[in-house]
Amino acid sequence: MGLSTPGVSNKSWFNRNRSGMPLSTGSGLSGLPVRTAAGQFWQAAAAIALAATLLLVVAMPLSAQSPDGQLWVHGSASRVQAVAVSEDGSLVAVGSRDNSLSLFDGSGELLWKFEAENSILGVDISPDGQWLAIASEDRFVYLLDADKNVLWKYKAARPMNNAAVAADGSLVAATSDDLSVYVFDNEGTLLWREELGIGVRAIDIYGSAEKARVVLGSDDGLITIYSREGRDLLQAWLDYSVKTVSVTSNGARILAGTSDGSAVLLNGANGSEIWRFEAEDSVNSVSLAGDGSSALVGSEDGSAYLLDGSGILTHQFRQESEVLSVSIAGDGNRLSIGTVSGAARVFDRAAALSGAARSSAQRQRLIFAVVGVIALLILAAVWAARTTAAGQQVWQRSAAGPLGVLQSMWSARLSYLLILPTLALLLTFNYYPAFSGLYHAFTDWSPGVRTEWVGLSNFYSLMENRFFLSGFRNAAILVVVSVAKTMTMPLLVAEFIFNLRNRFSQYWFRTLFVVPIVLPAVVEILVWNNIYDPAIGLLNESLKLVGLENLTRVWYGDASVALGSIIFIGVPWVNAFALLIFYGGLISISNEIIDASLVDGASTWRRFWSIDLPLLMGQIKLLLILNFINAVQTFELVFLTTGGGPGASTYTPALELYYKAMRMDRMGIASAIGMILFFIILAGTIVNMRFVSSSTEYEA
Amino acid sequence: MATVRDGQGPEGAATVVVRGESGSADQPLLSSSSALAILRLTGGQLLLYGVLLILLIVTFIPIVYLIALSLKDNGQIYGRFWSMPDPYRWENFALGSLAIWRAVLNSILTSGTSTAATVVLASLSGYVFARHRFPGKELIYTGILALLMIPPILTLIPAYVLILNMGLENTYWALILPWTSGGQVFALLLCRSFFATLPEEFFDAARIDGASELQSFAQIAVPLSAPILVTVAVVRLVTTYNQFMWPLVVISSPKRQVVAVALTQFTSEIGVTDLGPQMAGYILASIPLIVLFSFGMRHYVRGLTAGGLKA
Repeated sequence: MGLSTPGVSNKSWFNRNRSGMPLSTGSGLSGLPVRTAAGQFWQAAAAIALAATLLLVVAMPLSAQSPDGQLWVHGSASRVQAVAVSEDGSLVAVGSRDNSLSLFDGSGELLWKFEAENSILGVDISPDGQWLAIASEDRFVYLLDADKNVLWKYKAARPMNNAAVAADGSLVAATSDDLSVYVFDNEGTLLWREELGIGVRAIDIYGSAEKARVVLGSDDGLITIYSREGRDLLQAWLDYSVKTVSVTSNGARILAGTSDGSAVLLNGANGSEIWRFEAEDSVNSVSLAGDGSSALVGSEDGSAYLLDGSGILTHQFRQESEVLSVSIAGDGNRLSIGTVSGAARVFDRAAALSGAARSSAQRQRLIFAVVGVIALLILAAVWAARTTAAGQQVWQRSAAGPLGVLQSMWSARLSYLLILPTLALLLTFNYYPAFSGLYHAFTDWSPGVRTEWVGLSNFYSLMENRFFLSGFRNAAILVVVSVAKTMTMPLLVAEFIFNLRNRFSQYWFRTLFVVPIVLPAVVEILVWNNIYDPAIGLLNESLKLVGLENLTRVWYGDASVALGSIIFIGVPWVNAFALLIFYGGLISISNEIIDASLVDGASTWRRFWSIDLPLLMGQIKLLLILNFINAVQTFELVFLTTGGGPGASTYTPALELYYKAMRMDRMGIASAIGMILFFIILAGTIVNMRFVSSSTEYEA
Repeated sequence: MATVRDGQGPEGAATVVVRGESGSADQPLLSSSSALAILRLTGGQLLLYGVLLILLIVTFIPIVYLIALSLKDNGQIYGRFWSMPDPYRWENFALGSLAIWRAVLNSILTSGTSTAATVVLASLSGYVFARHRFPGKELIYTGILALLMIPPILTLIPAYVLILNMGLENTYWALILPWTSGGQVFALLLCRSFFATLPEEFFDAARIDGASELQSFAQIAVPLSAPILVTVAVVRLVTTYNQFMWPLVVISSPKRQVVAVALTQFTSEIGVTDLGPQMAGYILASIPLIVLFSFGMRHYVRGLTAGGLKA
């Protein structure tokens, strides 16, 4: 014990694939020592079991659900550009790009639907739900009552982009793309209009009747409070364009969202800054509760942030796409979020906040369960050690008994301490995801929302998924081609260089063939995209130059040649990595062997087959398995070129996995694809280890 | 020695001296002072040179094309496709660098941090696994090795969800932590096998002189194993710099994106539509790798060839 097993260190270079996959634990089963297969196998199994239980304890809580307190969701095909919630949350207005404004009750029942001539850009609802102000791209601002009657409408020169209505409906304000703000009374009479000469879309109103005030934010970072008559009462400057404002019902606090991703709370009395919250990206919409005790900030980074009265983040509602509009009910209890992908969601604040608490209860239960399982395992082990013959042997071998083990563990505490960071990282970022993936392959998995055990249905649905099936066929082709590429050209070039008789030439050829390695892997693909460009690509231009215009085509767009074009990338396929490995193998063949073959009169050809090739078997095996593993997981090569098209003709399983997970939020199915690929790679690795002959396996 | 190779196969050359020996007793070919003689060209050798040159030229076509495009403006590309850049548009490089400098810095930061962490952690634990004895050592070690069986595609989605649950998406940590963790496995293998070859006497001597375990690690093991640590570092830097799928999944903000992904979003995110600056950006993105390889190629190659296969 104590020295590394030679069989191991041989394989240590497996990780060196350039094709770049995340968490590059590298690849390849052959890392396992194979000397005493059975014993090692059990040891590995035990290690995995130990690690599995450990990580259950460590990492399981992280996967505990954090229910967002979602009450209902309204999904549609077109983006939701405006949402508004009444004081008690019993009415929710949702305006979307399909020209419709829908009014829902608190439980998500559709009350009515209003159609404008063009998409809805802004909506506001009075606290009692009696008045709705709607701004639309059809250039109108509408005032509706609770029963969908259009009381009046007013047309501007350019689209109206936002609207606000006072609590009692006595004042309506709208901003327009004509760089002006319009203010009306309840009858639709234009009270005043101001042309600002700069983009404006942030508007809100507080107070009622004669005391109503308009808060306006513009692209030059200016926030202005106007009286009902249009008198300028207060101005405050921010550093970036103000994209959205919201004000409490008494006007004491103003929340402004800016294009640099900040939400800034201002004192409504003097315009001074009270606090500031930073989102990841531009803030599209903000909303303050009537008393300012909570705020909702929707950002282009795809999240809505729920803040408390002092600007502390209390919950992050992660959405699948940019958040365009948010609204919080006057009493702060209901939240509504509208997104680019067409979802309008309504949440209960209390439930969202208690989600965290609930998940900690779950966590406790889980820990109890895990501890129970571990205790059971120990009992079983003790029982086995006592009663079975093999177990007794083991028991006696560790004659010192459990106490002795504990003692020696204690005395080796420094060792454990030193490897602890490594183990903790590996358990969290490598072991846990691996087991999580295998488990979730059997679930309908939508993190944060639901995790349901569905048995094999993910796999059944994949069997009927033409993208996946086509991807499978393509992956098989890519595996064969990639192995063929690596086994021929680099080996050939390595042999050629090796057979040059001038060391200087050897050096330069070797170096020059390796130079392309300095290009990042994606750059090679991107340059080839340009070579294939149908309009002005090198390939088509060359064909035209030599008069073969009838051969030019849209290389990626033609299903009959798309896959071929992808395979052709990187011609002549002298892979620097493989070349170096082969060349290294060749120069390590001892001179005596070569000289002996010369004495025996072997031709170069004969030498290649009888000496070089057998002695390169180790390198060949290594490259074979590395290529197999990489080709099965092919992603960039299709993602960056054809994106899988045309149709399903160039899909690969990894690409379908990515689309399923990232675009369709079907994490369960994506995990199932991952699991299938895992087993294919595992099988390939075992076959490679067992059956690819290596009579002269390189020695340690 | 003056080994004589007879009948060199396809070349069919009669007799040629091998491996830099002067070989006074040989063919007149050698006595000639022409370039042919310096290269020791025969028919067969000429063929080898010819084939290698052709392959080399084809290999370099995309690179030359890339450089040529990077120096043209759109008018030159569309109007005079085949002509040389005239005038040379060096400002393309200024435009290209404006678009990608941030991504390059992000890449250097994340790759650099995770590589440094990998080297530190792997050398520490490699040392422990090579020189310490403690219960469960081989079991834990095998457990780590078992990770070599796990392909990245299996862990991609669960790791992404894990990052989401930890609230780390769209941060540098989402790249640094998993890369550090993943890189350790192979680095640990290398370090352990290397440390195991260090003579025990060094450490005994240090112990007698009163060095603590950590001192003998830091002052004996690490200096002696500097080459292997550099090799690990170079390999990890190259690997992480080239990572594409993982950053694509966990980083959505262009501000934090790494270069491999940022390059592919040139047109959509950064707003550069001219080909010239785009190509210049591709070249600029290679600079860190060029720097790395210009001093580290030796380590990379040694790792690949001698170190990797004959460790």
